[in-house]
Amino acid sequence: MALLELKNVTKYYAGPTPALAGVSFTVKEGEFVSVIGPSGAGKSTLLRCINRMIEVTGGEILFGDLAVSKLKRRDLRKLRTGIGMIFQHYNLVDRLTVIENVLHGRLGYKSTLAGVLGLYSREEKMQAFNIIKILGLGEQVYQRCDQLSGGQKQRVGIARALVQNPKMILCDEPIASLDPNASKIIMDYLKKIANGMGITLICNLHQVNVALAYSDRIIGINKGKVVYDGPPGKLTADLTSEIYGTESGELIVDWGERYAS
Amino acid sequence: MIKFEEPIDIWGQISPEHGYTVHGAAGALPFKPLNRQALAMRIFLLVISLLTIYALLTIDYRSVDVAKAAADTLNNLKIIFLQPDTHRLSLRDAFYEVVITMGLAFLTTLFGGVIAFFLGLLGARNLAPKQVTNIVKGFVAFIRAVPTILWVLIFAVAAGLGSAAAVIGMTFHSVSYLTKAYAESFEELDRSVIEALSASGANWWQIVFQAVIPSAATSILSWTFLRYEINFANAVAMGAAAGAAGIGFDLFMAGGYYFDLREVGLITYIILAFAMALEAVATGLKGRIRQNPR
Ligand SMILES: Nc1ncnc2c1ncn2[C@@H]1O[C@H](COP(=O)(O)OP(=O)(O)OP(=O)(O)O)[C@@H](O)[C@H]1O
Ligand SMILES: [Mg+2]
Repeated sequence: MALLELKNVTKYYAGPTPALAGVSFTVKEGEFVSVIGPSGAGKSTLLRCINRMIEVTGGEILFGDLAVSKLKRRDLRKLRTGIGMIFQHYNLVDRLTVIENVLHGRLGYKSTLAGVLGLYSREEKMQAFNIIKILGLGEQVYQRCDQLSGGQKQRVGIARALVQNPKMILCDEPIASLDPNASKIIMDYLKKIANGMGITLICNLHQVNVALAYSDRIIGINKGKVVYDGPPGKLTADLTSEIYGTESGELIVDWGERYAS
Repeated sequence: MIKFEEPIDIWGQISPEHGYTVHGAAGALPFKPLNRQALAMRIFLLVISLLTIYALLTIDYRSVDVAKAAADTLNNLKIIFLQPDTHRLSLRDAFYEVVITMGLAFLTTLFGGVIAFFLGLLGARNLAPKQVTNIVKGFVAFIRAVPTILWVLIFAVAAGLGSAAAVIGMTFHSVSYLTKAYAESFEELDRSVIEALSASGANWWQIVFQAVIPSAATSILSWTFLRYEINFANAVAMGAAAGAAGIGFDLFMAGGYYFDLREVGLITYIILAFAMALEAVATGLKGRIRQNPR
């Protein structure tokens, strides 16, 4: 069943060249989709159009049966509550503890006053604790986030997204600031979230071999256009060069690793 | 993220022994040619020095004996600072008056802080649209450019000289000072964090109270204390200048009306003691906030 459908989405910023030029695709429930493409291709723009952090210029986005671009303020809030997001730089409140940051994921469900006062129910707190424990941060629950390593911060970011009970999580280069070890841990968790919990993942990635190893499907974009959309198995070296607009052989991709996972 | 690509050995040379210079960068800096601003500054200083010398040479001392005047001044200072005493004002009254002055400072800091909190939210670039922050920051900069005492005198036109004018005028200036400080404290939280929270469905007020304020709490408290200290000094001055009661008024009466130097000395010492106590409390609080930043 299609959870997300993009129809001919375009986005123009100030200039005459579009950041997105007629992007169309559908994503099924529980699918792990990686979006790859060179810097400036429009990956981040694409992700932010889906939860309307950026307004599209043209086209249509359907999430479930909601037409994203037509939502009123209150419904938009509901839409965003159902979509988690994680970031390259984690975007946590450094001065607050792990549990406080994770509970922020619940704010969208609350009245303004309850949110302002930080009134979380017992169930919400239990759920937050459980997610934190599952992500292996049980000992850091009350630590301030600026005392955590990058990998731990990203897990807090994931926990904050999960506590929203989202149908879908958008990841904007989740491992771009992490070392290979921490990257692997994060990607393994993301894989479990998609395949084990049935949450749809759309993940911008810079590392082609990571995309090859982990995703069910890869979308390659270049200059705002989708130039590849298919399973990792069919992504050849030539197609990859086309996505990145380079001569084949110039890219550092370990094609052997696609069978590693 | 910024990455420093220079080899480590260059950084090794940036050390006190090397006089903080990076070797390899072309030796000594050439002298900067005089630009227009520097030239104007020099001419200004020259003219001022010439005028000063001229004034000192041509001043009309009349019957003032400079040596005797200096000695008398020293004698007065000796009376003020070495023989403080009380005549009309009992020690208990004096303390009571100081408490009034502190109350004036507290009230104006409180009023100013509450108003500045909301204005600060509108003045923070990560929380409000650019046009709004520009208006708020411009407005507040204008208020701050005019000294507190002038605002008090301006409001005295409507409220009459006294405590009401002092409270309004001091609040006014506190608002502008604190708005700038608060807005800058709020801006400490990166825009991307705010983006992350609004992407999860949190609304503006929730983000302000759950993320922005916790991040800014330390600086907000420090700025508020700093302003309280300033307002205490202002409140003393307003007591004298605007008749706003408190210890400043007593100081004015003792000095300007009764010419009671001993009492001036006593009051000065009392104010000094309170100011120091205030400073100590503020320092202690700041230290505690820093240790336990929540
Ligand atoms: N806020 C903005 N205002 C104007 N132009 C923008 C803005 N954000 C992005 N762009 C432009 O849109 C294009 C796509 O940017 P986007 O950030 O989506 O690329 P990206 O694929 O995420 O790149 P990267 O891999 O470097 O993150 C770029 O040409 C960029 O300059
Ligand atoms: Mg990007």
